[in-house]
Amino acid sequence: MNQDRRDFIRKAGIGALAGIGAAAGLIPLFALEKTDLSVFSDKPVPGKTRWGMLVDTRKCGEGCTECIVRCHHDHNVPDFGKSKSEVKWIWKSGYEQAFPTASKQFQSSDLAHRKVLTLCNHCAEPPCTRACPTEATFRRWDGIVSMDYHRCIGCRFCMAACPYGSRSFNWQDPRPALKTLSPAYPTRERGVVEKCNFCSERLAKGQLPACVESCPEKALSFGDLNDPKSEIRMMLASNETMQRKPELGTLPSVFYII
Amino acid sequence: MIEKALKGSRGYWAWVALLLVLIGLGISAYARQMSLGLGVTGMGRDISWGVYIAQFTFLVGVAASAVMVVLPYYLHNQKAFSKIVIVGEFLAVSAALMCMLFILADMGKPQRVLNVLLYPSPHSMVFWDVMVLNGYLFINLISGWAVLGAERKGVPPAPWTRPLIYLSIPWAFSIHTVTAFLFAGLPSRHLWLTAVLAPRFLASAFAAGTALLILITFILKRVAAFDAGQEARSKLAVLSAYAGTANFFFLGTEFFTAFYSNVPAHKQSLQYLFFGLEGHAPFVPWMWLSVITGLVSVGVLMAPSLRRQSNWLIAACTGLVLSIWIDKGVGLVIGGFVPSPLEEIVDYMPTATELSVTLGIWAIGLLVLTVLLKTAIAVKTQE
Amino acid sequence: MSKFLRTAVAFFIAIAVFAGTWLFMQSGHGTAAAAHAAVPAAAARVVPVDSTRCIAQTEWMRAHHMQLLNQWRHDSVREGNRTHVTRDGRMFDKSLNTCLGCHASNPMFCFMCHQYANVKPTCWNCHISPMESNK
Repeated sequence: MNQDRRDFIRKAGIGALAGIGAAAGLIPLFALEKTDLSVFSDKPVPGKTRWGMLVDTRKCGEGCTECIVRCHHDHNVPDFGKSKSEVKWIWKSGYEQAFPTASKQFQSSDLAHRKVLTLCNHCAEPPCTRACPTEATFRRWDGIVSMDYHRCIGCRFCMAACPYGSRSFNWQDPRPALKTLSPAYPTRERGVVEKCNFCSERLAKGQLPACVESCPEKALSFGDLNDPKSEIRMMLASNETMQRKPELGTLPSVFYII
Repeated sequence: MIEKALKGSRGYWAWVALLLVLIGLGISAYARQMSLGLGVTGMGRDISWGVYIAQFTFLVGVAASAVMVVLPYYLHNQKAFSKIVIVGEFLAVSAALMCMLFILADMGKPQRVLNVLLYPSPHSMVFWDVMVLNGYLFINLISGWAVLGAERKGVPPAPWTRPLIYLSIPWAFSIHTVTAFLFAGLPSRHLWLTAVLAPRFLASAFAAGTALLILITFILKRVAAFDAGQEARSKLAVLSAYAGTANFFFLGTEFFTAFYSNVPAHKQSLQYLFFGLEGHAPFVPWMWLSVITGLVSVGVLMAPSLRRQSNWLIAACTGLVLSIWIDKGVGLVIGGFVPSPLEEIVDYMPTATELSVTLGIWAIGLLVLTVLLKTAIAVKTQE
Repeated sequence: MSKFLRTAVAFFIAIAVFAGTWLFMQSGHGTAAAAHAAVPAAAARVVPVDSTRCIAQTEWMRAHHMQLLNQWRHDSVREGNRTHVTRDGRMFDKSLNTCLGCHASNPMFCFMCHQYANVKPTCWNCHISPMESNK
């Protein structure tokens, strides 16, 4: 975990250096000579980074809901209980529900009862973005499958297309179902689809996702899957891991150690 | 020409008034849905489409089936269809209109519907569906209206109507193919993830659509003294019978692939619909009703001695429409969501609000059809 | 035959116009966004933000803040371009929270003017307004 943090600090540092460099170009006082503004682009290079997560289900505490509570609080996810209007970004599923095509015969009772943390897989080949008629959901430059709540028309094609049940629709106004409001993040409106955003608002500030940070067992790792030296890639190389429904070719960015 | 729809008998106005009442009911239910959200329907997190999308699917088929009179009349010069062709075209117009209204009713943010055109996304099947459905509505409305207008003046139709009519033939196939692709391209929804879905959609559409057209000619004969002709009806009945046979053949192949291969994911939705899955069996009687009435109706339509008798023909057509309405307008869409991606079985029951909106949209479609057919018949009978 | 040809040509032209319009719209989106490119996202964090003055003159902001917010939203959500550079070289994070960082000190800041102008923007359906967060 420490390694991961170091990774982050290093990346933020590089970003900062780049920023100062760019600032020198933009603010005439810092610059030795005049620079053309168009040389600098804030637009990130698409496909350079691919954020991913590794869930160690062995460490995940039974009955612990720290990450879920923290995520749903920070992102103003309404609590409708387990009803048909339920909205969830991250939740726990049974092993057989999360991995329906995995072997089920004669498994250990530990495995049969294990709870698996499930969330949006931020697939590299997402079926949901393909189905969306307005590009309200789209795959970002850093591999995050993002939602543009301003553009969503609420047709729920993405929900039918998602093979993981990771998307929730706002069947009614979510505001009354929020006990406390986190002012830093907006709520949603009735009639749009929402889901986990891999904490893109925290990544922009150089912080780890809320679920990763809040896990008391340090069962979640987060990092760049495109960087062969990142901690998550090291862990993927040294552990046997699983993805959900790999047979569908969606290439999930969330991995599991069972 | 439309002024001809303003002159009618007492029965005509009573029918229009009934439809207006139903439309009012639908609008008030829709207002409730708009203010409270789609939570007032029976849909939910797991079954995220319901009656609206199911009705849409069924009606795209009805719209597409106009080709079954347009194609023989214009390409094969089948004079028997001369009186019925306009009925088919106007039925397509009203069905396409209902389709779009059902899509609109199903949307969480209908006020943003133009985003589909503002941000055109050719990778999305919805984009193509919006294109082809709108195109189909206008092709049929414009060509049908123009041909009718020419007939009223006693002149041959304008030369541009013919290419437009020819265009409507492949276009009819395209609307239902694209509609099937809405479903058939989604991974992990195994009831829909099948290459035979598009052919099956076309077969069931041509079966139910032509059967509906036959029923409409009977109604018109009775209430408007407008007879499209016995020959047209019996020809349509044969088309309907073969299309129905193809539909059940395709359904049979679905069963074979699912149950012979024995792959659980392929079987589950069919099990849920036809036999029940883990104690959940809300659709079982309906699906079997659909299969049995459908097969019997196709049998009746196949027998020349039976389909020549009006009573048998009416019964068989009603049975076939009902059968395919259950199969496509209920089972296919809802069954596709069971089990959910997390292997949960959730049952769906439409609410009164949802059904009122549905009824309202049907009433709008019937009103449009009534007005169009009233005009057409007034022109044809030289009133 | 000529009739058929004419029809075919008309159909082809219709498809070409459709494809052309679509490509034009798509390319339009691309260039509009590229024109607003500036500096890496990290810059907003490290460069001290000058909050003594607004990003633009009051008159301009009054007239154009909605377009600016729309553009900011597009840039930061869809392009990842999060840093706004003012004419005089100051940098700001493209976020409604940047605005609220100063303007929320008066919870009625947005409301008074919107009420006066009788406009009903839908921002606060989702974003937490200063009236709510200052409670």
